[in-house]
Amino acid sequence: MQPTRILRATRQPLIKFLGKRNVPKNIDHTPHAHPAAPNDSLPESFAQYRNRAIQHGPLGGQQQQTGQRAQQQQQQSSASSTVAPPSGMEPYGGIGGKSGKQLGDIQPAKGQFFDRDELPARFRRRPFSEAEMEAVDSAGASMW
Amino acid sequence: MFKQLIPRATARSSALRSIQHPSHVSRLSPSTSLLQDRIVQRRGYATPAEEKDLVIIGGGVAGYVAAIKAGQEGLKVACIEKRGSLGGTCLNVGCIPSKSLLENSRIYHQIQHDVKNRGIDVGDVKLNLTQMMKAKDTSVSGLTKGIEFLFKKNNVEYIKGAGRFEDQNTVAVDLTDGGNSVVRGKNILIATGSEATPFPGLEIDEKKVVTSNGAIALTEVPKKMIVIGGGIIGLEMGSVWSRLGSEVTVVEFLGAIGGPGMDAEIAKSIQKTLAKQGMKFMLNTKVTNGDASGEGVKIDVEAAKGGKAQTLDADVVLCAIGRRPYTQGLGLDKIGLETDSKGRIVIDSEYRTKIPHIRVIGDCTFGPMLAHKAEEEAVAAVEYLTKSYGHVNYNAIPAVMYTHPEVAWVGQNEQELKEEGVKYKVGSFPFTANSRAKTNLDTEGMVKFLADAETDRILGVHIIGPNAGEMIAEGTLALEYGASTEDVGRTSHAHPTLSEAFKEAAMSTYAKAIHY
Repeated sequence: MQPTRILRATRQPLIKFLGKRNVPKNIDHTPHAHPAAPNDSLPESFAQYRNRAIQHGPLGGQQQQTGQRAQQQQQQSSASSTVAPPSGMEPYGGIGGKSGKQLGDIQPAKGQFFDRDELPARFRRRPFSEAEMEAVDSAGASMW
Repeated sequence: MFKQLIPRATARSSALRSIQHPSHVSRLSPSTSLLQDRIVQRRGYATPAEEKDLVIIGGGVAGYVAAIKAGQEGLKVACIEKRGSLGGTCLNVGCIPSKSLLENSRIYHQIQHDVKNRGIDVGDVKLNLTQMMKAKDTSVSGLTKGIEFLFKKNNVEYIKGAGRFEDQNTVAVDLTDGGNSVVRGKNILIATGSEATPFPGLEIDEKKVVTSNGAIALTEVPKKMIVIGGGIIGLEMGSVWSRLGSEVTVVEFLGAIGGPGMDAEIAKSIQKTLAKQGMKFMLNTKVTNGDASGEGVKIDVEAAKGGKAQTLDADVVLCAIGRRPYTQGLGLDKIGLETDSKGRIVIDSEYRTKIPHIRVIGDCTFGPMLAHKAEEEAVAAVEYLTKSYGHVNYNAIPAVMYTHPEVAWVGQNEQELKEEGVKYKVGSFPFTANSRAKTNLDTEGMVKFLADAETDRILGVHIIGPNAGEMIAEGTLALEYGASTEDVGRTSHAHPTLSEAFKEAAMSTYAKAIHY
């Protein structure tokens, strides 16, 4: 008992129980270079793609900001192959920087409507193929 | 609708309910109407496939673990695999079959050379290679079928075929049984793994010139075998055939065996041990040419820095110079995804490509090509989707070489610490001083700790010895928790066990070992 007490008083174990696991409320989801990647920065294409991808909806306001940022970034890094985020700004565009919940409501504002043709390609009507038209014309007979 | 980057099972299920009850339609919001249109349209001819929350291309260790985890998290998930059996390289032609051969060849070798002094007299010992291969195949098929069972248990749709991108959310599948299919996913995970890098100038036929795939399926023991590359795969497979009676020569371009990460002292030690077992080593030697046109294979070698050339003859040549990411036929160009100079798909810290809903894990992206690293990434990638956080510590990924004795390490080695200018201290303990190793008559090797000179925090653990592959787990845990060598040294380890050597090596780092 006594030796243990003395030992505990002098030794500081490095392993410590941190308590019950808590997930931080705000996790930074902005893209950063992978820890095992050879470079410390992501290719320019990451910023370019993400800035282009955000066009409509609740992200629209952000898009304008990020678009401006992208322009600034591109100007700053025109000579280099990678984009380093300016201090205080979201790197590599707005996507991924915030969770979906933080981005707010996905419904359009009152009186506003989304035009299907403005949506990303996966949400648009798919073009009819020749085979499908044939199937309709033949009442399905061409499928067999 | 712009939040499709994350799964929205709840939103979708409510939309589906609305469609099933037409009375609700009038109350639908504009965006939900669009969703309804999509769903109705999906039932039509043009888009026959149901949209999954997650589509995984590749059913190897990375892919199948991600699929099971996603199933457990309640995602609608499909896993596409073209091999015909799940588990990828690891289960089918890598870790698992090689471990079967390593264990059984070790027993054969031990019975031949190491049982008399243990008081066991045996008669005529013969190798039945066909049966040994059958034992290997039984292990493999049992495990791969086990994964299929786990898929069913966790509601994972298993699609047998080769997947390729049609667009950013659509994967076309050439089904193994013929025909085509299309799968659409909100999120797509690429886990297509890697393949053996061929040696330039030598055509792989998997009979005379083999990769690891062929080396685990030879039909007879070659009289002479040359292993090009002294890394883990080369040494493991070289060990197998050496134990079974082949004359094995390892040709390595670098000055040490073991590959990147292995501590130089440990590498020298294992080389000596393997040489004692009968393997020959040609270090600092490059292969300049190969000719497999005759009955055997001729390999021209010369000193890496230039020197006298010589020709080596072999019945079988194993090319084990490394592995490269396998993304062939995936259609990455179709969706504009880029790879780096080594063929790895570029990702960010959350495994996202530049297209955020397409993620990549395992051998086809950054990091060491290890099955357990891929497993960690699989869980983390799915957790990023469902919980928005994940965790992989790339500084605490263990590596194991399953020769006898085994070699295992985690963290940094002495060379790396010297390069970084870190002040460190070293502690080690030999298995010759460990009671259990003594009783096992298996005392080759040691445990070595590297710790920060000032704080005593463990920076690396390197083991060569019996059961090193199991023992390294304790080192990995210590490294992950940021333990000091004193933390390990003051932890009770059962007696008599090999793990006492681990404790005593830790003790010798901050104080002195008791038994040495």
